[in-house]
Amino acid sequence: MENTFVVNVIHRPEMVPEYAEKVTGQGKAEDIGRKALLTESLDIFKFQQKTAHDNGLKCTIQMTYASLFNEEAVQLAKDDHEKYGDEIALTLLGLPCKEFREKYKTKDFCIWMFSMEDKKNIVDDVFGKFYECFGFYPESTGSYYMDAELTNYIKEKYPSIKCAVATCWEEGPKAYHTTNNSWYTLFDGGPWNPWIPSKQNTHAPAANEAEDSGIVAIPHLSRDLLACYDGNGSNFGTHPQNVLRGMIYDTKTWEYPYLYNLIDQYRHLAKYNNGYSYNMMFVGPGWLNKMGRWEQPYELLKKSYEDGMRYYGELKKEGKLIDLTMAEFADFYRANKTYTEPECALWKDILYGSNKQLFWYVDPFMRACVNMDQGGAIVDLRPYVAKLKWEVGIGTPHVQDASYPFLIQEKYRAGYFTHYAGEGTVRSAKICCGAEEVDLCLCRTHATFSQEGKNRVLTLDPVDIEFAEVSVKLQTKVIFPEGESRIQISREILEVSDPAAEISINEYMVACYGTTEYPEDMTSIKLSVGDGADAKKIEYAYKCREAAVEGAKVAEAIIPPVQTKVTLTTDADDATSYVKEGYAFSPMFTLGMTKKIRKGEVINTWLNLEKAN
Amino acid sequence: MAQSGKGKLNYRCPSCFMRDLDIDMFYDKDKKEYYCLRCQYTGTEEDVLEKNEMIRFRYRKMMERITDFD
Repeated sequence: MENTFVVNVIHRPEMVPEYAEKVTGQGKAEDIGRKALLTESLDIFKFQQKTAHDNGLKCTIQMTYASLFNEEAVQLAKDDHEKYGDEIALTLLGLPCKEFREKYKTKDFCIWMFSMEDKKNIVDDVFGKFYECFGFYPESTGSYYMDAELTNYIKEKYPSIKCAVATCWEEGPKAYHTTNNSWYTLFDGGPWNPWIPSKQNTHAPAANEAEDSGIVAIPHLSRDLLACYDGNGSNFGTHPQNVLRGMIYDTKTWEYPYLYNLIDQYRHLAKYNNGYSYNMMFVGPGWLNKMGRWEQPYELLKKSYEDGMRYYGELKKEGKLIDLTMAEFADFYRANKTYTEPECALWKDILYGSNKQLFWYVDPFMRACVNMDQGGAIVDLRPYVAKLKWEVGIGTPHVQDASYPFLIQEKYRAGYFTHYAGEGTVRSAKICCGAEEVDLCLCRTHATFSQEGKNRVLTLDPVDIEFAEVSVKLQTKVIFPEGESRIQISREILEVSDPAAEISINEYMVACYGTTEYPEDMTSIKLSVGDGADAKKIEYAYKCREAAVEGAKVAEAIIPPVQTKVTLTTDADDATSYVKEGYAFSPMFTLGMTKKIRKGEVINTWLNLEKAN
Repeated sequence: MAQSGKGKLNYRCPSCFMRDLDIDMFYDKDKKEYYCLRCQYTGTEEDVLEKNEMIRFRYRKMMERITDFD
C-alpha cells in the first residue's frame, strides 16, 4: 500500500480516574462517590473530546461502567457520535464506582485479575448496561490487558466485538518496580503494534483462521521500543503526559520535541511493513488532573494534550494521517494484513543520543529483539509457537502475572555481561583464535532492513575482530523467513589478515525461561545434541555438565514449563554441536556449535522454535 | 510536630527517579522541606527543581527535532 499512517484516538469518561483518588484525595478518607471528583472527571473527558474534534480528529469513546450510570456522560457520547462520527465503545477499565463496589464487594478493578466466573458476570453486567443505555452492543472494547479466556468469552457472547485494546507493551516487572512494587500490571512480552490475537494466548498472534480470536487487538499506547524496553514504560509513549512524567521537556519553554519524534518514528515504521504504520493515543482523565501531576501544573498537562492532538491534526490536514475509530481500524487491518505477515521495527534511539539501534520482529511464532549495539545478538525471545495456555486471575496459577514467557531476556536474566560468574541469556557468537576469544556482543554496529521475497533481512555493517596477531572482518545477516518459526543467522567471513591462522566460530544461545527477574526451576529441561545412536542427552540437574558431538548438526532443548522445543541447527558438515547444562549460580542452558572458518566462507545457523507438549 | 502533607504539587523524589522509581514526596512544613519515604533524600522545593534539571542529563536528544530515522 501507499504509505498509510493510521491513528486511533480514544477517550474514556472514567468517573473515578485511577490516580485521582489516591493523588488528589491525599489527606481525605476514601470516597469514590465524591461529587467534585465526578464533575472534574467529566470535565476532563469533555476537554479531551473537544480538543480532538477541534483538530479534525475522530475519536473512539470507550464508555466505562461508571459512566453508564451518568446520564450526562451517556448523552455526550450520543451527541458526539451523531455530530463527529465517533464510535461509542465500551471499556472494561474504569469499573470502580459506588455501584460496582456495592455489587461485587471488592476493590479489584483489573478485569483480567478476577476469577473467570466474575469476569463473565462483570462482562454481562457491563455489556448489558451498555445495551440499556444505547440500544446496541459495542464493536470495540478493551482493558490494559485482555486474557484469551476473557476475549473468547466476549467474542462468543457478544459477536459484534471486533477490536480491543489488549495489552500495554512491556508493562511488566519494570512498571512494577517503578511504582515501588505497587502497580500489578505484569504483562510483558506482547506485540507493540496491532495484531490478531490467537484464541490460546492474547500475546501470541493467530497463525491461521482456526486460531483467530475474532478480534483485532491494539496496544494501549504506542511506546518507545528502545526506552520502554530498558526503562519505565510510562515515561515513553504517545501519551503526552507520559512524556511529562519522564521529565522529557524543557521546564522553561514547555517544549517536548521528543513526543513528535516518537510519533514520527512510528510513521517511519511504514518502511518495514509494506507501507503501513500505526499510532494510538489513549489518555485516561486521571492524567489531566486539575491539581497538576508529576511536578507540573494543570496548564502544562493541558497544553501537552492540545499539542499532541494538534500534531495529529496537522498531519491529517497534510494528508499524512488517517484517523479511524477502533472498529473502522479492525476492518482496515483485516483487509490489509495476512496472518503470517510479521510486524517489523528497526528502531533508533531518539532520546539518549546513544546511536543504538534495535530490531523488533513479531509474528505468530515468536517475538524477537536483535541488538545492533551488540553485534546483532538476539536479546529478547518469546516462543509464541507454543501458544501457551496461560490463564490469569483469581483461581488460576497466575493471579497477576500475564506476561508471555521468554527464553532470552537480557534485562531480567543478564545478557553478555554478568558479575564475575555465570552466564546471561543471549544468542550471539564468539570468534576464537588460539587462546583468544572475542564475542560479537562487543562489536557495535548498525543494520539496514530489506524484504527479499518472504524473508525479512537485517544486514549488519561489517565488523572487525582484532586478535594479537591476526584480524578478521565479518558480516552478519539475520533473516526471518515468514511463517517458518525460525531465525537464520548468516556470517560471512569477508577478510582474514593471515590465511594460515586457525580461526573458529562458536555460535551459541544461552537461555532459560521465565517472566520476571527471578530464576525458575530448570529441572524439567532436557538437552540433547546429535541424532540417532550418536546423540547425547542431559537431563537438567544443575550439575554443570557438557556434551558435544562432532559432525552433529543439531543441539536441542525441550523446556516443558513453556511447552517449547528450541534447536540450534547448521548446514555445515564439519561443525561440532554441543549443549551445556548450567548450575545453581548460573541457571541457564547453552546450545551451540563450533567450526573452523576461512575467508569467503558463509556460516549459516538457524534458531528453530517448535511447540513441545 | 504536625503530620506531613503532599505539598502544592506531587513532587517525586529526584534520587529515586534516577533509579526508575516514582515516589511522591511528602512535605514537612516545620522544616520546610520535601522528604522521601523510601530513601534518604530531603530538600527544599528549589533543590528538588534543581535536581530534576540534573536528571535530564541522560536525555541528550531531548530538545532535538529528529527527521532521520534510518
